[in-house]
Amino acid sequence: MKLIRSLLLLVTISTSVTANETEQAEPWLERLAQSLQSLNFSTSFVVVKNNQAEPYHWFHGVNADGDELEILSLLNGPRRDILRKKNVVSYIEPELPPYSVVSQQISGPIPAILKMDATTLSQTYDFISVGRSRVLGRPAQLIRIVSKDPHRYGHWLWLDQKTGMLLKLAIASRTGQLLEQIQFTHLDITPELGESLQKLQQSTLPKVIEIPEGYQAQTLQWQVKWLPEGFKQINANRHRISATKKPVEFMLFNDGLVDVSVYVNGSEDTQRATDYVMDGATVVLNQVVNGFEVSVVGKIPANTAKAIADSVVLMPKTAP
Amino acid sequence: MSENKFETVSSVVDSYQPNDEIIEDLLNDAHLSATWDRYHLMGDVMRGETSDVINLDLSSEIAAAIADEPTVLAPRTSNNLAAKFKAKVVHLAKPFGQMAIAASAAGLMVMGVQQNSADNNVILPESQVVKTMPFGGIAEPVSLNFQQTSRTNEKQAFVEQQRRFQALLSDHQQQIKLSSVDVSEQAKQEKVEDPVK
Repeated sequence: MKLIRSLLLLVTISTSVTANETEQAEPWLERLAQSLQSLNFSTSFVVVKNNQAEPYHWFHGVNADGDELEILSLLNGPRRDILRKKNVVSYIEPELPPYSVVSQQISGPIPAILKMDATTLSQTYDFISVGRSRVLGRPAQLIRIVSKDPHRYGHWLWLDQKTGMLLKLAIASRTGQLLEQIQFTHLDITPELGESLQKLQQSTLPKVIEIPEGYQAQTLQWQVKWLPEGFKQINANRHRISATKKPVEFMLFNDGLVDVSVYVNGSEDTQRATDYVMDGATVVLNQVVNGFEVSVVGKIPANTAKAIADSVVLMPKTAP
Repeated sequence: MSENKFETVSSVVDSYQPNDEIIEDLLNDAHLSATWDRYHLMGDVMRGETSDVINLDLSSEIAAAIADEPTVLAPRTSNNLAAKFKAKVVHLAKPFGQMAIAASAAGLMVMGVQQNSADNNVILPESQVVKTMPFGGIAEPVSLNFQQTSRTNEKQAFVEQQRRFQALLSDHQQQIKLSSVDVSEQAKQEKVEDPVK
């Protein structure tokens, strides 16, 4: 009897401890989103992957009208800038003439969800507050976003205890192997808009490209039968890959945190063994089965990508 | 085990220049080697240079571990993709200036190779094997150039695959930018279309 009672006590204590931990992590994520949306900051970070470092500058601010302004630029190599004024995002890249899209978020190395509400991921991820450490010379809180199933990577966030800002981000496999890291190297928070953002405010952004209605929701002759829980289709279209001019059928899935692309196209080869490469945490996997080439790209483990590629089934053409 | 020898060890520890004979002795005599270890450890302790945890027997442990290691005659094949060697994406598009030159050279090479392989796809009758086949202005023995094509084909396939991966990666990033729906809005929406299940 005594034993049972003490056991019960132990169980209640341990559950309350875990409850407490998740309670701690979520306010941190909410605070991060708040900071990323409302602060005027000028910051630099370095993306470390494949033994390479990519330095970025990132400015963000809110003008007198309450509209957000944002600049993200890659500092090495050919110019890659992303500019954002409220809900218009412009991409300036060497491959394409500058263009704009209507969007609330820029698509860069930092997951857009962190700006919104990462707690919406709670169906598929757990949030764990791990502890404190020192990052960028500041006391930081480590929060882990851990997948509930083994098919996804975890994201580790180091947040500034004073401002709630992101100081470091790492993508790690379930065994704790670091695949990609973003380390902030400088952070300035100012009451006023920065100079470059004031310039952005006065400049006109490139023309917004019109995406025809229904273009991103086409019916394709194949299906992806398996995806990890929580992935939703956000795009399905036919297009040509800009680098190779090869026509492909394409679907894009998103679980809130990571994007996964699936490509299907005919191939000259009838069979080709599965092959894949890693670019930091992003896997690019490719195989040819019965004359059809299936490729999967995304920040997911190679085994997950293989399972997704294997689950693609072609459907017989419906009679006209 | 003469006392003399221990003294020699001691003087060697104290950075006295030993001759080769003494070193040879030291290496061959397990007991003397142990003494050498011990003297150094004493010195380290006295100077306060030891770490908090002293593992006295590390070298023999490592030696034992190496001895225990099975000899691998053939590499093990594993079905686990993640355990396999991960190649890295070769960023073909990155260094622009250099690439322009390199790419044009590579383009010439690829063109040349394609011509080669087209020529060599013709299976030669037995009688012609001895003859040399001129291609691209160079005449080489046929036997030699068969081998070459298989290797260049392989290399070509590899380059082709790298290019394919690179194209897919940049297209993936492009598509995300074009179809970046408002995540928060999407989360609010009820599951409109769930492709899974």
